Parts: sequence; C-alpha cells; structure tokens
Amino acid sequence: MTETTPTRRFGFKRWIVIALILLGIYFGFIAGGIFKPVAPGVVLPGEPIWPGLSWLTNTLLATLLADVVLLWLGWSTISFMRSGKLVPSGVYHIVELLVEFLWNTAESTAGKWARRLLPVFATIFLLVLVANLIRLVPGFESIGYLQSPEAGSSVKGYPIVQILPGVYALDGSQAGQEVPAGTAEPQGLCTTCTLVPFLRGSATDLNFTFALAIVAVLAVEYFGFRALGLGYLTKFFNFGTMINKPVFGVIDAGVGLLELVSEISKIISFAFRLFGNIFAGTLLLAILGALTVAIVPSFLYVLELFVGVIQAYVFGMLTLVFISQAVVGHGGDHDEHAEAPAAH
Amino acid sequence: MNDPATFLHAMRFLGAGLAMIGAIGAGAGIGIVSGGAVQAMGRNPDATPTIQTNMILGIAFAEAVAIYCLAVALIIVFAA
Repeated sequence: MTETTPTRRFGFKRWIVIALILLGIYFGFIAGGIFKPVAPGVVLPGEPIWPGLSWLTNTLLATLLADVVLLWLGWSTISFMRSGKLVPSGVYHIVELLVEFLWNTAESTAGKWARRLLPVFATIFLLVLVANLIRLVPGFESIGYLQSPEAGSSVKGYPIVQILPGVYALDGSQAGQEVPAGTAEPQGLCTTCTLVPFLRGSATDLNFTFALAIVAVLAVEYFGFRALGLGYLTKFFNFGTMINKPVFGVIDAGVGLLELVSEISKIISFAFRLFGNIFAGTLLLAILGALTVAIVPSFLYVLELFVGVIQAYVFGMLTLVFISQAVVGHGGDHDEHAEAPAAH
Repeated sequence: MNDPATFLHAMRFLGAGLAMIGAIGAGAGIGIVSGGAVQAMGRNPDATPTIQTNMILGIAFAEAVAIYCLAVALIIVFAA
C-alpha cells in the first residue's frame, strides 16, 4: 500500500563486480600466463621478510601491523574523547560497539570479576580479531620477493616473467617444477622461483598462537592465586580429603592430578585451535584460489571473515571462562573449601 | 617400492590422511552440539544469548579434537 520509491535495478557498483569476475575468468582460464594464480607452496614456519633477515619474519611483521591498527583505534578513541564532542563519529563507532560487546560478554560470564578480567579478555580478543581480519586484505601472501625453492623440498618453483622494469611475476601457465636435489642456484634472479610474501597472517605462525596461549593460561593461574591464595593449589594437589574420606579422597587426589595435566593441555589446545583454523583457512583460500579463479574465492573470503571473528571470540571467551572457573575454587562447598588450606 | 625414500614420502601422506580420520568425531560432536542448541533456542527463544555462548564454547571444545588430529597430520607431513 505504501508508496515505494523506484530503485535502480542495476547499480553502478555491481557492474564493476561483474566486470572483475569476467576479467578473472578471462585471465585465469583463457589468457593464461602471468595472471593465472600459482599453486602455493605450504610453508609452516614464518619466513624472513628479506633473505638473511632471519629475526624479522613475515608473520611477525603482520603482528606488528595488527598492533599498529590497534594503536590507531585506541588513539582515535582518545582524541575523540578529548575533543569533547558528544555525537560519535568515524571510527569511534566501531570502538564503542566493540567495547560494549566485550563488556556485556565479560559481565555475563565473569560476574563481579568482570572489571578485573575485561583487560585480559579484551586484549586477547582485539589482537586476535585484528590479526585475523587484516590477513584477508589483498596483498597479504601475494606480494613478496622471489626465491629459488630449497633443493629437494616438495615446494614447486615457477618460471618468472618481467611485467614492468624491476617488477617480476610468476608464470602460472607453466606447470610447477620440482627442484631436483643439489641444484641450489647462486644468488641473483632464479629461473624457477617461489614467492616469499612480505606479510603472512600472524596466526599461521605457531609462535604467535603459543605466545598468546601461554599468556592466557598464566593469566588463569594468576587470577586463581589472586582469588584463592595458596588454596588454589588444592585444586591440583587435593590430598586433604584423603584423611576423612579415604576411598573418595584417593579419587579426589587423582582428579586433582588430572587437572594439572589438563592445565598444560589447555596451552596446546589454545595454540593449535587458533593455528589450525587460520592455517587451514589460508591453505583453503590459496589452493581453491589457484584451482577456481573467479566466484568461489569470494565466498571463501566471506567464510574466512566469519572464521576469523569466531576464533577471536572463542579464544577470548575460553580465557574468560577458564579464569572464572579458577577464581571460584573447586567443589563450590565453602566449608570444605575453608578447611582444605588448613589441612594442606 | 624399490625406492625407500619415495615409499617413505608416500607413507607420510597416507599417515597424515589416516590421522585426520579423527575429525569424524569432532564433526559429529559439533553437529550434536548445534542441533541441541537450536532445539533449545526453539523452545526458549529468550535464553538465546546464554545458549549461543555455551554452544560456541561446546563447539570449540569439540573442535579441539579435530585440531589435535590436524596438528598430528601437519607434524607427520612437515616435521617428521
């Protein structure tokens, strides 16, 4: 019944998108040559961003970039607060949205501890979120220097072509060649190259995820000791109940030792969960991007956006939940809890 | 079979594939978790935020098993 304003059925932007898709199909399947994506080499450790610069890996550079983005977010918030304006504008919207979401999550999970736990939770969440999102920016994992692959490794090299003076690309129309063992080429331009990107997703490096996981688990222990004092140790070395309840006390002690093991496995599961998801996503994007040039990678990028946000949420949320479990003590029985440290 | 190095190489990939069988359990677990969560949300839509949080946690725990498999497979392929 209401008057609807006629909308333009075919806007300008969708023609750009369709043209890009058609260009992708043309270059990928018909024209071939340098625009055809090359099948990626799977490299587990972070690679140096320049030959010989082994202390600065591309994953570390991506993490620093994520830090810069976070600092920029924080700084723009501070400058907005100082300006005294009441109407939020620009990037402050995003920060407000994030902080409100983080606070609600922390409060609903941690209750009265929310004020003290929010910094830990929010730091982990924001760092992982930004690191996971900026790795999807075009240019990550596709711009870098060319290097001859290690002799004997399964990584395949591609012939190079010059597209502009000083700018080279890999020729994807030629099948990748395995480099036979013992033919490492001398310094200079190689004829069969692999690409070493300047930037690679931070979470595709186990150093990043393990560092975060260790920090998270140390935070769990810290808050546990802070809330319960030395009584926190009775969660692991629970020999107190063995005196008044001999049979179940032994079981309790065994369960306590299992808790100790699970505390260590928390680090591994934290680290490998984030690493596995992001690394598998990177592989999926790279391999399916090389197989299907157009359309399919777009949907995979949407999936990767989703996975990045969910993994950041899961990492922060699990930290929060583990800390909230650590601060309430075991059993929940207050009489037993008051007695246990004395018996210890 | 005549070339031990190639045989070892092939067996590594086979082993990595076999290690990923464990992902079946994680897949079933995630399905059960989200199925239960959707049923609960259907019965009680007001409790959706709580259920969603717990669902994501449950999925994360179930997924951890598949991640262990992935770690083993990656170690077999790249490190061993």
